[in-house]
Amino acid sequence: MGKQIDLLQGTLDMLILKAVSLGPLHGYGVLLRIQQISGQQLEIQQGSLYPALYRLEHQGWIASEWGESDNNRKAKFYSLTATGRRQLHSETEKWNRMASLIATILRTTPEEI
Amino acid sequence: MNLTRFRSWLKWIAKGQRLESEMETEVRFHLESYAADLVRQGLSQQEAMRRARIEFGGIESHKDAMRASVGVRWWGELGSDIRHGLRLLRKNPGFAAVAILTLALGVGANTSIFSIVNAVLLRSLPFLEPDRLVKIFFNNPGTGLHRVLYSVPELEDLRNRAGVFEYVTGTERGSVNLTGGSRPERLEMLVSSPNYFSMLGATPQIGKLFGPPDFTPGFAPSVVISDSLWRRNFAAHPNVLGHTIRLDNDPYTVVGVLPPDFRNPGPTHSHDIEIWLASGFTAASDPEPTRSARAFPSAMGRLKPGMTLQQAQARLTAMAVEIRHDFPTDYPPENKWTIEIQPLQEALVGSIRPMLLVLQAAVILLVFIVSLNIANLLLARASGRQQEMAVRSAMGASRGRIARQMLTESLLLSLMGGAAGIALAVATLKFMPRFIPSSIPRLSEVSVDWPVLAFALLISLLTGLLFGLAPTMHSTRADLSVATREGSRGSGYGVKTDRLRNSLVVAEMAIAVILMIGAGLLLRTFRDLLKENPGFNPTQVVTAKVNLPFPSNPSEDPYRTIVKQSAFYQELGHRLCAIPGVELAGFVSNLPAADVGFTFALGIEDRPSNSGDDLRAKDFLVSPDYFKVMQAPLVRGRFFTEADEDGKPRVAIIDESTARRYWPDRDPLGRRLRMGTGAWMTIVGIVKDIKQDGLDVDGVPHIYVSIYQEFDPAEGYVFRDFSVALRTSLATSALEPQIRHQVQSVDPTLPVYDVASMNELLDRSLASRRFSARLVGGFAGVALLLASIGIYGVLAYMVGQRSREIGLRMALGAQRIDILKLIVTRGVVLSIIGIIAGVIVSVSTASMMASQLYGVRPHDPVVFLAVPLLLFVIAVLASYIPAWRATKVDPMLALREA
Repeated sequence: MGKQIDLLQGTLDMLILKAVSLGPLHGYGVLLRIQQISGQQLEIQQGSLYPALYRLEHQGWIASEWGESDNNRKAKFYSLTATGRRQLHSETEKWNRMASLIATILRTTPEEI
Repeated sequence: MNLTRFRSWLKWIAKGQRLESEMETEVRFHLESYAADLVRQGLSQQEAMRRARIEFGGIESHKDAMRASVGVRWWGELGSDIRHGLRLLRKNPGFAAVAILTLALGVGANTSIFSIVNAVLLRSLPFLEPDRLVKIFFNNPGTGLHRVLYSVPELEDLRNRAGVFEYVTGTERGSVNLTGGSRPERLEMLVSSPNYFSMLGATPQIGKLFGPPDFTPGFAPSVVISDSLWRRNFAAHPNVLGHTIRLDNDPYTVVGVLPPDFRNPGPTHSHDIEIWLASGFTAASDPEPTRSARAFPSAMGRLKPGMTLQQAQARLTAMAVEIRHDFPTDYPPENKWTIEIQPLQEALVGSIRPMLLVLQAAVILLVFIVSLNIANLLLARASGRQQEMAVRSAMGASRGRIARQMLTESLLLSLMGGAAGIALAVATLKFMPRFIPSSIPRLSEVSVDWPVLAFALLISLLTGLLFGLAPTMHSTRADLSVATREGSRGSGYGVKTDRLRNSLVVAEMAIAVILMIGAGLLLRTFRDLLKENPGFNPTQVVTAKVNLPFPSNPSEDPYRTIVKQSAFYQELGHRLCAIPGVELAGFVSNLPAADVGFTFALGIEDRPSNSGDDLRAKDFLVSPDYFKVMQAPLVRGRFFTEADEDGKPRVAIIDESTARRYWPDRDPLGRRLRMGTGAWMTIVGIVKDIKQDGLDVDGVPHIYVSIYQEFDPAEGYVFRDFSVALRTSLATSALEPQIRHQVQSVDPTLPVYDVASMNELLDRSLASRRFSARLVGGFAGVALLLASIGIYGVLAYMVGQRSREIGLRMALGAQRIDILKLIVTRGVVLSIIGIIAGVIVSVSTASMMASQLYGVRPHDPVVFLAVPLLLFVIAVLASYIPAWRATKVDPMLALREA
């Protein structure tokens, strides 16, 4: 494991939505998926995942269903809903705009002002 | 909260237990899966589980966040706050009982009074578009006469000339003998114009109601009856329609029955109206009614749609001026005759409104004081709970969270008190008519309905908030570090709040003194009146009312002449005396303290009529044995005999004060007097004064006349309403069927009603005095209770605040008695200030009560000594409990805390 970065405020929801957009996952699966795609570089306190999952479900962006895991145990699987997909889309767009804006600002050299 | 979230919230509220188990399963699955992965990386099972738990973080706080995520956390907290609150109340049952009891009194009183206010003042009248209904009055402001009688042409003017009314109806109340049902009855009836029901928008339960087409100059042949009469006398059978009944022997046909909730919009007397009769108010014998033949008492109308009250009033005022101008002889200019309209609801309840609003204000003040008292008690308790609060906030509870907990506890208390109060109000609702003067209109409509319940809930919640605020602020102010370390008793309560609390107690004490002195004076008046000598011996006298019919058709009148009437009285007298257990029977036109009677101008022979005296008197028709039945003492002369009948010289008996007043220096026996322009009568006897007009009224002179002689030869009218008085050892209930049997064996059409002992009648005549004495007495009792709780609360708080000081004093050698004195003195000083203030107010306002008192001076020394003394004793007792508790302070414990 390399050096880990703390998660930016408010980005956990987006990451969860992205993780479940690739297919239904249980809570632990969401954690593994995020770590996997981030190349183990993100520091997420494992427990804090669950309040976020409950909040997203409460808002109707993800739905849950009880099913069986790979090791044949009862687990709750989360999947993206239609509104969740729209939300992920708009969040992504917003993030990209913000990121490029911040990047532009940071690239600015003294001569350009 | 949008719909999705609301649905999700509802789901979790409904499945609270499932949420918990799902969270548990999900968290366990996560931990075990992670641990399994760690085991695969080479850790031991035990170490893997330990690492999993650490990396997951605080399980309980995450679960709490999950609950918050779906919006059910506060719900769960509410549940635990309520459980905690209930536990606290159970732990302190004395406090809980006092708080809930006083709250129940406060909320109960508010609910009861508001149920009356709601039914009488707020709820609109149960008629079609009641806002358009008005009562019409005729006034002569020039001579100061209001609500004068009106004539038929004036009624026609309102209908045809004014142009503001859709309907105008004249009404007149009366009572009448009903026969033709299952038994004879005396009933209240209303004679009205035929459009009465159309105006009110009433519909029948069965049959039809009379309407404008039923117009006849005199009485229409059809009647409408009430639901209660239908059920009582006609077994609720539909064949009552078309049935002929007789009202004072005149035949009428029943055409309709009204629904159960229909009531005539008029003052409520002891009985509701049960028979409705239509009349054109122009009898055939009186073909051309004149403007000056004003004989009708009351009129109502329905304004045209869209017509405002102001527009209508303006038009009527203008019309009155025109009429006065058109008919100057019928309208003397100095009278300034005019027409006034008032909304019907206002006309019915306007006079009672101030009294009800004052009562409502009084009970709101009452619940306010209750609330302040409980706030004091809670504060006394809160000072003992500071440590608990400090621990809670050290464990991470926010100020808001603690405030919410305290408020939940207070609201819990107030809702419990409120529920008890509502229960109290509902339970006492059916007894209320007994305590409230029946003259209040619409009393039969009083009920505890949704608006009343909502009001009770509102009052409970407001009191809960009010008394919950003080301890809430107190607890959130607790200083964390100091309180946890020391359990310190010193808190930020300055002189200001102390002074506030003290003035509350002083005010409570003063109010209690004022009310108790008032109640004492009223009760003494009441007791003295019960002991008042009425001028006769009321025990073992049973009375009953009977009315001879007065038919419109003379050929149906069996009592047309005084001779026929006398024969009836003699026959009935014999039969009543024959009842075993009855010693003697008499008849009288008006029983003492029960009937009003008529006042006449008294004429005295050989006395100039313009001597400036107030020559008014009431006359009473009595049978020869009446005074013997009542055991009214004869001063001089003789009673009437059977020989004082028609055709013999007219005779009269006067009472002592009349004799003193008009013949101060001569013997009245043998002198002559007359009522109005009636026949001259010779005075043959003088009796002791009888309290004819009620125990508390001295009244005008009383003249007694033989029931065999009194009639008006000019009109041929013979008096018809009388009461039976029996001297008997039998109980009223045993005698009632026998009296009825004997009366109806002489004339089967005569109803017998209002059978009561003379003592009951005297008692009833004091009903309104009893009401005010009970009302003030009740308030005084509650005020006393609140004042003692107030003193207790303030002192208990003080003991809590100063327990360290008390412990120190005791450690330094103070005796228990010193501590006792220290605390009790404070209570005594406060209560003495309150008592003195209350006595000063009472002394200066007592003269205002003079009109309510009889035989008791407004500054009655007994009351003014007994009440302060009693309050003082109670104040000492209330102070003693917290003082005694102060002596139980353990000096060691108190010092260690310091």
